[in-house]
Amino acid sequence: MLEVEVAGMKLRNPVMLASGILGSKHSSLLRIAEFAGAVVSKSVGVERREGYRNPAVLNRKCCIVNAVGLASPGAEVFSGELREFSMKSKTPLVVSLFASRPDEFASLADYFPFASAFELNLSCPHAENAGMVLGVDEKLVKKCVQVIKDVTDKPVLAKLTPNVTDIVDIGRAAEEGGADAVVAVNTVKAMAVDIFSRKPVLSNIRGGMSGKALKGIALRCVWDLYEELEIPVIGCGGISSWKDALEFILAGASAVQVGSAFYYSYRAIEGIVRGLEEYLRLTGEKIKDLIGAAHENA
Amino acid sequence: MYCLRVVEVNRFERAEVVSLKFDRKLRGHPGQFVMLNVFGFEEIPISLSSPDTLMIKAAGETTRYLQKVKKGDLFGIRGPFGRPFSLPAREEKSYLVAGGIGIAPLNYLYARLKEMGRDVVVIHGVRSSDEILFDYPEIATNDGSYGFKGNAVQLFKRLLDTSEPFRVYACGPRPMLFSLYREIKRLGALERAEFSLERYMRCGIGLCGSCVKSGGLRVCVEGPVFRGDEISEGDFLV
Repeated sequence: MLEVEVAGMKLRNPVMLASGILGSKHSSLLRIAEFAGAVVSKSVGVERREGYRNPAVLNRKCCIVNAVGLASPGAEVFSGELREFSMKSKTPLVVSLFASRPDEFASLADYFPFASAFELNLSCPHAENAGMVLGVDEKLVKKCVQVIKDVTDKPVLAKLTPNVTDIVDIGRAAEEGGADAVVAVNTVKAMAVDIFSRKPVLSNIRGGMSGKALKGIALRCVWDLYEELEIPVIGCGGISSWKDALEFILAGASAVQVGSAFYYSYRAIEGIVRGLEEYLRLTGEKIKDLIGAAHENA
Repeated sequence: MYCLRVVEVNRFERAEVVSLKFDRKLRGHPGQFVMLNVFGFEEIPISLSSPDTLMIKAAGETTRYLQKVKKGDLFGIRGPFGRPFSLPAREEKSYLVAGGIGIAPLNYLYARLKEMGRDVVVIHGVRSSDEILFDYPEIATNDGSYGFKGNAVQLFKRLLDTSEPFRVYACGPRPMLFSLYREIKRLGALERAEFSLERYMRCGIGLCGSCVKSGGLRVCVEGPVFRGDEISEGDFLV
């Protein structure tokens, strides 16, 4: 009922953990993998990276604003952590990679022979020399995907930024580079100011916004990408209930990713999976038959 | 995030500890913490030491700066967050075992238990008499300069009366908590003990995963207070 196949991965349900949320330790990934269709790790680069100092995350009424700055222990250490996960769980593990140049992506793949797929972080809006700096340039996006496809047979997902004039141009570049799917979207560039101290809240001043406020923006991106691309689209941004997830699927998402919703509940994914299950039981349909169904009614 | 103003500063200079009292009560419980945004410095997790005070020991750049805070200064607060200490049953005697600045959250718990009329013993272990922060009767000093010569866990072993129902609440440095954990485990009483754990935190709201311990438990949400049977030895060795 809930099974989907995305980018060559067979998922028991279409609800994945989004990168950057609870994805640094195998123990939290294992807990989430009990219910998730797949989990995506925290992004990792070749070298250890400190990230920005606190305050790095702020919870607001309808959103979370963060500038963690791609903090990472580096590929070698992190590969040990994720290996631990892969030995204990059958849930597909997508390893999220960041790099400052296309060729760096190629060198990262070797560290993670146990990965089910790779997700390229072409979209973190607040890290220097990585993420969105690559992801706003069509040529670089195409190159990044090509370079990693050359060195691995595993599926490659390109996670896109909404901070561009036309996300479809970027998505097309990823497709031309050989991406097996695109993930739309990463956080929207944002900030917060404290009205009492009259200072920006985040130490990095600028960050990225996730959470409920992002839903409409992400949904529109998924819709447009679904119309123009051949490869599957994975929806991400503001999904916190099964109704949100279904909305994305009807708009064209083959799977969805959930992150900030864990602020409300550690059982966020479990709740969405159960809700979708109940819904499909009611309508007697399969989730894969609903992907993009809203386009026929538009 | 909201802002609170400091209305009273209490300095324990020899212990390098400062106690900040705010203009409003934080709606929290003993064992919970806030993310304290020290403007121009870092945002750090600090346990409540009463409904309206935070006690901070100088350790890094931000906590050293906090020693110099003045009345009227403004701080950003997120929280209180996390799971508080659970309260004992009426017939249970509570042993509050603190090491160093670990006394801060237990001081709050002590006040709460006293309000409830419960039987409480506070055991505070410090390196020397310079670090004593409150005048609790059961003080252990490593150098013997005051009270019992030894550490908090040794003193706890002396005072614990296993013939009646008891609960243990602990907060302190990792080696101290580990030795207490092993002692409680030996007694087969892990489910009657609660430990307040400390980890590096970024978000404080269960998202970033920086503070995840064994079992996928987040110190900022499922903790910082964990029952003994939710902890594994590896949690003390990180």
